[in-house]
Amino acid sequence: MWFFRSPDIVFGEDSLSFLNTLDSKNIAIITDKNILNSGLITKVEKNLPVDSKILVISDILPEPDYDNMLLHLNDIKNFEPDLFIGVGGGSSMDTAKILFALYERPDINIYDITPLVKLNLRKKSHLIAIPTTSGTGSECSWAAVVSEKNEYRKNELASPEILPDYAILDPEMVLSLPREQTVNTSVDAMTHAIESYVAKWANPYSDALAEKALELISNNILNALSNPKNVESRNNVHIGASMAGMSFSNSQIGLAHALGHSFGAVFKIAHGKTVGLFLPEVIRYNYKSSRTKYDKLNNIFPDNIRKESLDLTIENLFKKMGQPVKMGTLNINENVYHKNFDLLVELAENSTGIITNPEDIDRKGIETIFNKVHGD
Amino acid sequence: MAIFPGPEWADEYVKALNGNSEYKDAGKTWEGDITFVVQPDEKYSKTWYLYLDLYHGECRSYKASDKETELKKSEFKYTGKYSNWVKLINREIDPIQGLMTGKFKLDGPMMKIMRYTKAAKEMVNTASLVKTEFGA
Ligand SMILES: [Fe+2]
Repeated sequence: MWFFRSPDIVFGEDSLSFLNTLDSKNIAIITDKNILNSGLITKVEKNLPVDSKILVISDILPEPDYDNMLLHLNDIKNFEPDLFIGVGGGSSMDTAKILFALYERPDINIYDITPLVKLNLRKKSHLIAIPTTSGTGSECSWAAVVSEKNEYRKNELASPEILPDYAILDPEMVLSLPREQTVNTSVDAMTHAIESYVAKWANPYSDALAEKALELISNNILNALSNPKNVESRNNVHIGASMAGMSFSNSQIGLAHALGHSFGAVFKIAHGKTVGLFLPEVIRYNYKSSRTKYDKLNNIFPDNIRKESLDLTIENLFKKMGQPVKMGTLNINENVYHKNFDLLVELAENSTGIITNPEDIDRKGIETIFNKVHGD
Repeated sequence: MAIFPGPEWADEYVKALNGNSEYKDAGKTWEGDITFVVQPDEKYSKTWYLYLDLYHGECRSYKASDKETELKKSEFKYTGKYSNWVKLINREIDPIQGLMTGKFKLDGPMMKIMRYTKAAKEMVNTASLVKTEFGA
């Protein structure tokens, strides 16, 4: 027995106008400063029902901790929203999920947000996610990542009840996404698809979404990078990224995420960049158990990118995109790397991706992959 | 061969757990006790408990019984029906998927256990290392 869960998806050009069809009266928008300054919130607001009241919370930090997430919980309680809209990358959408849960259930502890506790949400409000990057998949997932203050590790809170009711995938929201972020987030999305496809919990639904996600992203990402205002390419990458999100949300991530989380925590490097960094080496490590599935994925890539095996295809595509696969190009502080080597290994060992990676790995195995990607 | 559930199985399990270096490493900062609860179903008519006192990557003491009153009350409880335990030991059920689909139930402070996914995984892996004969 297993499940497939997904929000209702509104996608394609002009999909923001869907908001106008809602009956919501009090709408809380959760976002960050950059998104607000970019004018994207104005675009959202223009599409809200004319008679609705709007509260905009726009100081969500990247990788927020609980304090940052819950800073405005009281304002929200006073405002009494009947709709939450998370607009942004993973941090804003995840914060919207947490605020939604705690507004619905002021009596619970944040750690009650687990799949093992029935929360009975949606008594007062609903939740919509509008991504402004094409990668995190948070709009389609029932998890929320929360940083721990003064700690390297993060908590992943999850409950099927914090899955958004709607995900709105409007390409206009990503047309101005800078190149660097387009690369980072699409690398993250491809890593979601590839890891989900071979994860221990993979299933026919997650497989189908992973395949289509890779097809859409690999056929469009280079064009989206060279012609960032091309709506068709942006739209395809955006849809592909959300499919990848839906795929891993219903299966799981794997070792590249475990290693990437650890590396990103110590060196403060963008999530997508760190998971992509380890992906080719992780594919090689997993070949023992997942060769057939990897070969199938390799056939999905367009002829001008595909090499004889998936690890090489990924390296080839990443090179064209400017995504590193060796630490050398990242200019990390070597002393910090060697001093924290044990910590890096330990953080990776305790990351959830380890549990669902198709091939088990021990401490030594993790060390070996770090060494290879380091270039030793 | 140790019969599950039963005292010999408990002995073998704890021996295997204390010999598992991956567990020792993953649980090296863990302090807390847990009780495995095997509930009756069509194939097994009793309830069986295995209390484990886990401290810094080691099981310091343990006790198996079919009477809960004979055991110390533990911080965590991992409960499932006999036939689901059989599947878990045979690795036919993933322990976390088992929880999420209601085949197993976990009681205790979630925040604490979330940090020890690797240790939890090793605890289950250890169960499948014990040469087990199913008693029902
Ligand atoms: Fe990711």
